[in-house]
Amino acid sequence: MSTTTAAHHDDHGHDSHAHPTGLMRWVKSTNHKDIGTMYLWFSFAMFMFAGALAMGIRAELFQPGLQFVQPEVFNQLTTLHGLIMIFGAIMPAFVGLANWQVPLMIGAPDMAFPRLNNMSFWLLIPAAILLMASFFVPGGAASGGWTMYPPLSVQGGMSVDMTIFAIHILGVSSIVGSINIITTIFNMRAPGMTLMKMPMFVWTWLITAYLLIAAMPVLAGAVTMLITDRHFGTTFFNAAGGGDPVLFQHVFWFFGHPEVYIMILPAFGILSTIIPTFARKPLFGYASMVYATAAIAVLSFVVWAHHMFTTGMPVAGQLFFMYSTMLISVPTGVKVFNWLATMWKGSMTFETPMLFSVAVVFLFTIGGLTGLVCAILPVDIQLQDTYYVVAHFHYVLFSGAAMSIMGGVYYWLPKWTGHMYDEKLGKWHFWTTTIAFNVTFFPMHFTGLAGMPRRIPDYSQQFAEFNMISSVGAFALGISQLLFLYVVIKCIRGGTKATNQVWEGAHGLEWTVASPAPFHTFETPPQVK
Amino acid sequence: MVVSEIDACNSFKVTFKPNSALSAVSKQKVVILLTVIPSVIGIAFCFLGAWLVLPFVGLEIVALAYAFYYVNRHEADYESISIDGDGLVVERCVGESVSRQVINPYWVTVVQHELANGELHLYLQSHGKELEIGRYLTRKQRELLAKQLKQRTGILNRN
Repeated sequence: MSTTTAAHHDDHGHDSHAHPTGLMRWVKSTNHKDIGTMYLWFSFAMFMFAGALAMGIRAELFQPGLQFVQPEVFNQLTTLHGLIMIFGAIMPAFVGLANWQVPLMIGAPDMAFPRLNNMSFWLLIPAAILLMASFFVPGGAASGGWTMYPPLSVQGGMSVDMTIFAIHILGVSSIVGSINIITTIFNMRAPGMTLMKMPMFVWTWLITAYLLIAAMPVLAGAVTMLITDRHFGTTFFNAAGGGDPVLFQHVFWFFGHPEVYIMILPAFGILSTIIPTFARKPLFGYASMVYATAAIAVLSFVVWAHHMFTTGMPVAGQLFFMYSTMLISVPTGVKVFNWLATMWKGSMTFETPMLFSVAVVFLFTIGGLTGLVCAILPVDIQLQDTYYVVAHFHYVLFSGAAMSIMGGVYYWLPKWTGHMYDEKLGKWHFWTTTIAFNVTFFPMHFTGLAGMPRRIPDYSQQFAEFNMISSVGAFALGISQLLFLYVVIKCIRGGTKATNQVWEGAHGLEWTVASPAPFHTFETPPQVK
Repeated sequence: MVVSEIDACNSFKVTFKPNSALSAVSKQKVVILLTVIPSVIGIAFCFLGAWLVLPFVGLEIVALAYAFYYVNRHEADYESISIDGDGLVVERCVGESVSRQVINPYWVTVVQHELANGELHLYLQSHGKELEIGRYLTRKQRELLAKQLKQRTGILNRN
């Protein structure tokens, strides 16, 4: 064989399919499946940590008076619970699912930038350490709420700096991850997979990644201005120096409301994947689902000030944000209608992923309806900063985002591990979670309507019964997640062998590969018809 | 993806390009589309006094544009296999580099290696060396290429 080589080339031998083992497999991994697994474990660890903080909150609120923690520690618990659940648990869990599933669903061998993918994950660790370690610095952790409103955040101790630095790191991780997902989806789809043939989970992630691209620099700018106000003498948010503390709220919520959709759109994608499988029917109104997702994303940028109705904005502004917020219920309603229409006259079975999906449709709709209540300006002025709002966003973020992640994990777990999970225990986990969730958060609607403010460690005697019920529910909810951990570990360790297709009604490229999915997949591009 | 195939008068040439879901022009349009709204947001906040949003938007746009540029570097990649007289030529372009390997077709063996996951890899073996070919092709296209090469190459393939 005579060879002339103009430059380096990258031939592979037969052994190119070997993969590393041991600890370094994980540390240096550029494999989308390994990185997806690490994201999911990390998010579960953060979920348990932030959940433990919530247990502290509910223990304190079990009865009126101060029982376990001082008010300043209580504020630290609520602040870090929110920050870690959002940035440490929910978002990384969706990124983990995207890492695992997006390349498999579009027939790509990996993400477009595998090394950046590795970096995106490992950036999470120092950020998480900064957030958790902030409890141990003088003055304790940040306590001004996850929104970090000035002047509290400008006046806080060094834990605020740690929190801001952590948010910057998490932002870099999110942006790099988003760029990776966007380039992967746009450039690496298998032959024949046009945009309108992409699975809904991929579509929702594409739009979510775009939301991250648009929203993350705004958060980065906001927290940087906080830093300069704290340490470099600027007065962006200080009225005494000509600044405006309300400007922070505008900037923050311009990021914050798209952030809500960043945490819910991938959940919609999971539902749109699971429901057709167990209804044994194609997804009803695929195109309208895509357009509804895009419409929600666009509208998410023009509703931010509904978080600020009580800041004294002009009536015209209040009306604009009230109506634009209500408008979001239209594309969201399209989605709920399509899921119901998919189930209508379907040959349905209720395995654990489907149970979670049906529950999410029902409970998320409750969260959406209470959101509409909060959107009504005169009502919101009464409900602002009450437990009604706490109930609303937990119905959206726990039963909407977290429970759909659980459904997604049960749905794809056999493909990841090669084993079927214990269906009986999975259903136990579902029922305990769903019942405990409602016991925890449904009474909060009543405490909120009765006027109990959020973020307080002590409260009037009139709220005692509902708070006691919520606390009992919260402890049950926390304990039931240990069952989730047990089911997942049991499935990893063994169980009935999963077939390639796993679910009778499942369709898509991910089900054409073996179970467990091999280390390398789709090195030969599949042809999509 | 097979982009050209010439087979006439004892000469044979096929060229393959990697699958690209988006053309170079479409990539440019996507980058513009993705960067317009963040730019407008950054500039708007700048006018409202929150000018520190703008540098982060700028950094992000640079990163996004570079990512698409980097992906697009492989737009011109190709692999061509040609047989003309006594030479079987495998030419590859990956990024900016071009490699060219010439093998005597009389002594070459076409080897199909099927992996446990069902993937089929093609190799040309000659004089103790081997070269993987057809990496841009689907399984069916690889099978067809193997068949065509076996018909046109060494005596060992005819056994």
